[in-house]
Amino acid sequence: MPNPQTDTKPAVLPELQLEGVWRVVVLNDPVNLMSYVVMVFKKVFGFNEQTARKKMLEVHEQGRSVVWSGLREKAEAYVFTLQQWHLTAVLEPDEAH
Amino acid sequence: MKRIEVKLALPVVAPLLDVIKELADGLGKKLAAPLALTDLDEEYRASWVDELLAAQNEEVRVLLSLFDGDFFTDGVVAFDEDNAEVIVRACAAVRLRLRERYLQGLGEEALETADVDLQQLEEPLRRAFMCYLFLATVQELIIQHLDESILGS
Repeated sequence: MPNPQTDTKPAVLPELQLEGVWRVVVLNDPVNLMSYVVMVFKKVFGFNEQTARKKMLEVHEQGRSVVWSGLREKAEAYVFTLQQWHLTAVLEPDEAH
Repeated sequence: MKRIEVKLALPVVAPLLDVIKELADGLGKKLAAPLALTDLDEEYRASWVDELLAAQNEEVRVLLSLFDGDFFTDGVVAFDEDNAEVIVRACAAVRLRLRERYLQGLGEEALETADVDLQQLEEPLRRAFMCYLFLATVQELIIQHLDESILGS
């Protein structure tokens, strides 16, 4: 049993150790409306209004935003769903894991 | 069921429908937002693209069906929870294709802000940009009035 006092290393799920962690990154485009991107983020990721707006502004101002990270299979599913909404998204390995 | 009806000016909108119809064929063959994942298995990627294209095709079909024979009688289109999501996506797809086909020369800032003097544009660019603005207005209307329907579906 882990000891919360001495065991300070964060727990990593076995699946993540095997496959690594992947980031879903949404890229900016000048066409899709800000309100549309906010709505898509709320719909696809279940973000609240504040988080969705923050992520949308990251995309708009920085050209990209990491909107999710986790297992490759689920990350691919998110990219597919974002493509259904005509947003451009890529996957990149999360080097921190 | 929440429903919004919008009365449009036929002489203004009818020429824009020709632009959408012209782009519809191409949208059945090529994704509006290119698939940016490069490391997918080829077969898997092909099946993704097929599925996305089929969905995109259906979206544009539903968008165009708003402007059927009745529309040319009364100029009214209706949005509700059954068609809101599909229409808002179709508008995104057509706007992306408008950019690719006609609006590249306007630059990103003009496309984002829509701050363009229409009188300075020549055809067919002018009509394409009007279509781009019209579809954005449709999206804004749906998001403003029917976003709860989309988020709850």
